[in-house]
Parts: sequence; C-alpha cells; structure tokens
Amino acid sequence: MERAIQIEPDEQRVADMLAIAEHRDQAALVRLFDHYVPKVRAFCLAAQPGANLMADDIAQEVMIRIWNKAHTYKPESASLNTWVFTLARNARIDYLRKNSRHQSDIDPEYLWQNVVDENADPFKDAQQKRDQERIQQGLDKLPADQKQVLAKVYLEGKTHKEAAEELSLPLGTIKSRVRLALHKLTIYVKR
Amino acid sequence: MIHYHPSIEILTDYAAGSLPLAHSLCVSTHLERCHECQQQIRKLEMLGSHLFDQTKTDSRQLSNLKDSFFEKLNAQAEQNNSLKVEEEPTAIDWDNYAIPKSLRQFIKKNYDDLNWMRLSPSFKIATLYNEEGGAQIALTRVKAGAHMPTHTHTGDEITLVLEGAFSDESGVYRQGDFINRDASHKHKPIVTKDAECICLTVLDAPIEFTGWLTRLLNPIIRRYHPHSS
Repeated sequence: MERAIQIEPDEQRVADMLAIAEHRDQAALVRLFDHYVPKVRAFCLAAQPGANLMADDIAQEVMIRIWNKAHTYKPESASLNTWVFTLARNARIDYLRKNSRHQSDIDPEYLWQNVVDENADPFKDAQQKRDQERIQQGLDKLPADQKQVLAKVYLEGKTHKEAAEELSLPLGTIKSRVRLALHKLTIYVKR
Repeated sequence: MIHYHPSIEILTDYAAGSLPLAHSLCVSTHLERCHECQQQIRKLEMLGSHLFDQTKTDSRQLSNLKDSFFEKLNAQAEQNNSLKVEEEPTAIDWDNYAIPKSLRQFIKKNYDDLNWMRLSPSFKIATLYNEEGGAQIALTRVKAGAHMPTHTHTGDEITLVLEGAFSDESGVYRQGDFINRDASHKHKPIVTKDAECICLTVLDAPIEFTGWLTRLLNPIIRRYHPHSS
C-alpha cells in the first residue's frame, strides 16, 4: 500500500524541522520547500483560481514562517502536515484581508495562536495518531457529495452559507452533509 | 463551567479559515477558556490538513520561485541576525480582569482605558472596531443587577461573556459562554446581582431597542454601526 511508504518521508520532514530549528539548516528548508510549496500553491488556487501571483506570495510567506517559527513546532501536539496547514490557512487569511475589497484591521495572528494545551497527558501522542488514522481512512470512504462540501469549506475558503449558494442547495442540506461527514470521521460527537 | 458553545458549523468554518474575522475573534476568545472546543478544533484542523495534503498540485516549474525565495531569505538573515521573539506581558487590569489574548490587539492594558459611551446609568458600550462594510465589534458593560434595555437584532449577533454573568428568558450565561442570536430574537437580559457583566459582542447589523423610552437610543446606535455610513 502507498501509505506504508509514506511514513518515512514524514519522519524525514520532522527531522528537517529540527535541523532548521537547531542549526538553521538550509538544505532541510529546500526539501520542505519542494514538498510543501506545490501544496500551498494548490490550496491558494483552489480559493482563487488563476491567481498565480497570490499563490506564489502566500507560498513564500509560509516558507518564511516555517523558517522563523521552526523552534515553536512541537511534534507531540500536532503532525507537521497539520502545523503547515494552519500556517497556510493563516497566511491566506492575512493576504486576503490586506488585499481584498473589504480590508480589515483585525490581525489574524492574534486569533489562531496555538492554544497551549494544559491537559497534556502521556497518551496524547497515541491519541493523536489514532485520530489521524481515523480521519485519513474515513476521508477515503466518504460519499462524493460530503467530500465536495468539505472541500468547499476547507480548500475554497467558503462559509457554509456561501457553499450553499454556490451549489444551489438549501443551507440545511449543506449543514447536514458536513455534520454527517464529521460524524463519520468521529470528529463531531453531538453534545 | 461553560455551557454554551459555538455550533459545529461555526467551529468548522473557523478551523477552515472561512469564518469572517469578526466572528473568528469571538470563537478565538471562547477557545481560550474552553478545553472541549479546543479539542474539537484540533480534530477539525487535522481534517483540514488531510484535505490540504490531498489537493491536486500542478506541474508548474518552481525553480524561479525557489531562487528568489532563497535570495530573499539570505538578505533577511543578513539584515536581522537575531530574531526577537517578543513575549507579551500578561495584561491584567486593575479590577483584576485578565484581558483575553485575542483582544489584546484592541485593549492594550485595561477595560477602563476604552472609550466607553454611556447609554444609560447602568449600561455602557465601547466600540473596538468597525469593519468596513462588515460587522461592529464592541464591548458592553452592565452594572450588577441591572436590566439591559429590551432589544431585537436586525442581524446576527454573537455575544461572549468575558466577566460576570447575565440571564434572559432562555438561560443563564457565564464567563466563556458563546451565544449566537439571529434577527428574529427579541430579548431582555438581566445581569446577575453579584458583579458587573462585560461582554464581547459582534453585530452584523445594529440592534434595535424596543422599549418605549429606549427607542430614542436607536438613532445613536445606528450612527455608530459601520452599515450606517
């Protein structure tokens, strides 16, 4: 299976992060650039098709943040992919707020700062891996309509409302598709 | 104990980064106090990272981008050889209120420094920020035991209790509680008797007072809302 071979490069990248944090290893940054820049660009182009300059800018910004913040990355509290995803998400928000029609002075840096998890427990690492696996496997099995809505929200940066308008579906349908998907991925447990 | 949380839709939009910034500000302030929602966000971000990982990349040549990036990086390294990471002092005002981290971009030191506008002897409001063509972000401060004037919302309203507590027909809301009301809602909150109540509110459109006397306040409220200009 493909997944089995993927483990190693993941570990290599975590080692690269450490090398950057500890001795400013540029060769390690080159490897991370090759892996993540195409993904960040694709993530930006999903929201703004054709906006290649924007995608380049945001991708570079993400790489700068990786370089400057490598020492803040804690492998035990998030996978590297999750960490980079949050960097890309924040950089995209920041870019759009500075360059869009509706400029905003609300600084996203203050809003998505890593919340320190005080209830750190020794099983967190194992829990983390279990959640990861469940989400990854569940995602492959999701019906197309549910996956489509998740992609709209996460990759295209649409709110539930905007996704409903674009797909010409009632808001309730969008909500229930997302809820069903999150339920299957065991992310959402009704409280 | 926090009883009122953002809906899963709001949390999902927040984790995905598609929620408007003003609303994200409220979610973020709630998260600082809510371990349960922190866990939810952690998983929602995990989901985001898998979707991110699966995006189809194009085969564009990136060598130019790479060269210019590393040039910039080296120029930056020469400029500032030491990266200063400034640790912000914890802002605690002299009433011993800890200002949430997410609000420190607007409140440097304490709540009292804000430009409070008195709307009645027991009710004050301070605008933190008016988004251009968007929402109004404000703090409300109501004295212990006081009624807030009856009002309806002309748009969606998010209220987050920062200090103290208040109640209305539907329940009691305490520190950290996140309350999302839509335009159809008309309510008359009362602050609990033991302490004053400070709330963060985000209004997509001005609220409207419905009492016979407080109705006189509506033109003032509207004037301070960004949609009025």
